[in-house]
Amino acid sequence: MELHDLCDDPYYAASQRQGSASNLSCDSDQMRDVNEFELVYSKENVAIHPSQYASERIIGRLRIIKQSSSLFLTWIPYRTASNLVGTTGRNLSSSVSEKDMNLYTIKSVPLTNIHSIRRHIPTIGWQYIIVILSSGLAFPPLYFYNGGVREFFAILKQHVFIVRSADDANVFRLNDFQDSLQKSLSSLELPRALSVANGATLHHSPSAVSAIDNSERENGIASAGVSTASKHSGKKKYKVPDPAHDLSVQVLEKFSLVTKLARDATTQIFREIQDTRSPLRDKKLQSSPFPVTTVSQLDYRTNNNTRTKPDDIEGIPVDSKFVRSFVRGKKMKLPLTREEWRTFLGREGRIVDSTTLRKRIFYGGMENDLRKEVWKFLLGSYDYDSTFAEREYLDSVKKSEYESLKSQWKSISETQARRFTKFRERKCLIEKDVVRTDRSIPYYEGDGNPNVTILRDILLTYSFYNFDLGYCQGMSDLLSPVLFVMRDESDAFWSFVALMERLGPNFNRDQNGMHTQLFALMKLVELLDHPLHDYFEKADCLNYFFCFRWILIQFKREFKYKEIMQLWEVLWTHHLSEHFHLYICVAILKTHREKIIGEEMDFDSILKFVNGLSGNIDLDAVISYAEALCITAGEHGAACIPPVMQPRWHEQRMENKAITTSESVDMWKTWKHRFSLVVNYGWGRQFCLRILNGRKKYS
Amino acid sequence: MATIGNNNINAKLVLLGDMGAGKSSLVLRFVKGQFLEFQESTIGAAFFSQTLALNDATVKFEIWDTAGQERYHSLAPMYYRGAAAAIIVYDITSKESFEKAKKWVLELQKQGNPSMVTALAGNKADLEDKRKVTLEEARAYADENGLFFMETSAKTAVNVNDTFYEIARRLPRAQPAQNPAGMVLSNTPAEQSKASACCS
Repeated sequence: MELHDLCDDPYYAASQRQGSASNLSCDSDQMRDVNEFELVYSKENVAIHPSQYASERIIGRLRIIKQSSSLFLTWIPYRTASNLVGTTGRNLSSSVSEKDMNLYTIKSVPLTNIHSIRRHIPTIGWQYIIVILSSGLAFPPLYFYNGGVREFFAILKQHVFIVRSADDANVFRLNDFQDSLQKSLSSLELPRALSVANGATLHHSPSAVSAIDNSERENGIASAGVSTASKHSGKKKYKVPDPAHDLSVQVLEKFSLVTKLARDATTQIFREIQDTRSPLRDKKLQSSPFPVTTVSQLDYRTNNNTRTKPDDIEGIPVDSKFVRSFVRGKKMKLPLTREEWRTFLGREGRIVDSTTLRKRIFYGGMENDLRKEVWKFLLGSYDYDSTFAEREYLDSVKKSEYESLKSQWKSISETQARRFTKFRERKCLIEKDVVRTDRSIPYYEGDGNPNVTILRDILLTYSFYNFDLGYCQGMSDLLSPVLFVMRDESDAFWSFVALMERLGPNFNRDQNGMHTQLFALMKLVELLDHPLHDYFEKADCLNYFFCFRWILIQFKREFKYKEIMQLWEVLWTHHLSEHFHLYICVAILKTHREKIIGEEMDFDSILKFVNGLSGNIDLDAVISYAEALCITAGEHGAACIPPVMQPRWHEQRMENKAITTSESVDMWKTWKHRFSLVVNYGWGRQFCLRILNGRKKYS
Repeated sequence: MATIGNNNINAKLVLLGDMGAGKSSLVLRFVKGQFLEFQESTIGAAFFSQTLALNDATVKFEIWDTAGQERYHSLAPMYYRGAAAAIIVYDITSKESFEKAKKWVLELQKQGNPSMVTALAGNKADLEDKRKVTLEEARAYADENGLFFMETSAKTAVNVNDTFYEIARRLPRAQPAQNPAGMVLSNTPAEQSKASACCS
């Protein structure tokens, strides 16, 4: 099965072609030159974690090499089985591919191109460094499995001029020359390599550009500027370029795929760390050593001269718009077909590799006729390990269980109902909503449509099955596609039950579930788009209530019926994150950030705008973008999301069990500690206090 | 609050009432002139704006349409806080919805802005044969509580625009003494208003 990751992208492909083209162009003399280097530093077992899962790792060797008096940083993954099979013995070839390794490889970065390196030396856990280039790009964290970050800096100090940042003791700036003479002298040493990092020279690299040009023609995306430049230089494809130059371009090209996002995240994480340390947030912000955002992101605050201006990166395709369009352009696969599905079924119908299956569904969903069967796995009604026979048996048991649940309210006579206000009320609520749920969909349209009655029956049965939760507006929206897919009352009911196990907390009467979700969303936006967060803060929009509908009914009203089924199955795979819906929110908001900020929308306008996006969101693009954001945020993103609030009916169960309850308090405290929560935002703080106070009862 | 500049009034208006009473339908009729037989339920809130021209002023309504279910009641204060006007909607075919409307009136009297213009709308007036709440009963209640009352039908458009027009008329007009922070004197506002006058 083919893996879908950044490497499937045309831009990556372009950089690969570019790489081979430059190999072609290297004559033997240059090859010899490449081999003549002096090893300054070498460290084994330095890893990159391409996803939020620590189990997905690429281990390699970090080196500093000296070549014709210039220093280069390299990190090359091991080409051994250790990278394909994790230490746990789990075969990771499904998650870490050869392409991943190529993507993350740091072939050779001139040290003169490095702006700063941040070190992170926790008392527990792996030490890591983050390398930030002058252009503002950042490489993903490099984890030193055997320790030795201090030694790395010690050696670095012997060879380059390093200054510890005044703002953060863990940030070391390279090439930070106060003295302009020194600076210009320094830049004379490696003029071309420097210029690459500082931008604008990508156009001068013929092979790189023509490769991009090819991919553009194939895909019809990317900026016209690059395209024009490439037409002029296309003929010079095999002209010998400067190797250092070319390498840098290659590195930059690859990393422009991921690192703009990574940089945003990392710089924001740094700021966050700084923020938690100092209340002088704005001061820190202004003196931040990192070019936090690209020019376009800063448009709305161009008057703010005090802020460190990012390096001039115009003309180089690392601009946020570029990256966004690149990420959006990523193609989803075709839906999972029945033939493909069969390959996942082992003997007796067990799912052999559920991880790969979920990943496959994440990238493209499935054909409609598969949904009835596969959704039950995704929702947890079926065990992946179950056999055909077990599932058939389960279905029949569940069917009779459903019938007996349904008979509980079916048997209520009219006389009894007259004395049963709760029942009458519920029935009335449900009846009001089912008649206005998706009536334009053929399956539910027309007077006296029997499927509308089935919707009612299922919801009423559910309100007896889960009497404490009852019926809440929004549930009919969640059930409608489920019944549409299942075409069977009992199957639809149990699938809905499974779905509500996940979404139930959102319907809590006190809205705590929703507040938790919206709060996590706020933290994620803060992490992934700090300027947008700042804007929302200024506009007094940090309650994120404009995303209420998105989350409560999982975007049901935002997409076409066919699309929502695909989105839901993507969310249910829990591939990358079980909170992927929050990344979808961030992706949609980020897609429209320029408009929101540019038009200085207030809360009302944002709500109106957000509601108006309904039916106009490009699903595949949003999933791809959210995926990129989720990978970028990694564990920092996961730390934004508090432990899932238990639904009320679970909590009541917990009240009887002191230990379980204190465990949940611990969970919350741990999360709070992990995040070293500094909530300075209006209701956010109140909300947290409310939760903590609420929890105190139990502890 | 209604904000006043020249003869332009910006007024925040909130719709409250039981689910299925027809809040969204009233707004859609007023704002877009549309009616959907199966208007979907409102999740969270929806926001609309519509401008009315009266003889003495132009009123721009910023309308908050809220979710009706009791469960989402805790969110309502966010929407009615600072509102200059409210329409409390009930369904004339549902006694429960009228009781619910009374609860909303009480809540607004306690929590809302005291100068709020409040209207009571008995919606679905086209369903005369299913009526459960009499006109007299509702009118008496409205009079007792100082509410402006009309029976409306979003479906047939009866009294819908009239309700909004009447609210617009009742909104407080220019009250120059109302700025507690005092007045900031500078040249810019005058220039701005001049500029906007020639643009509009």
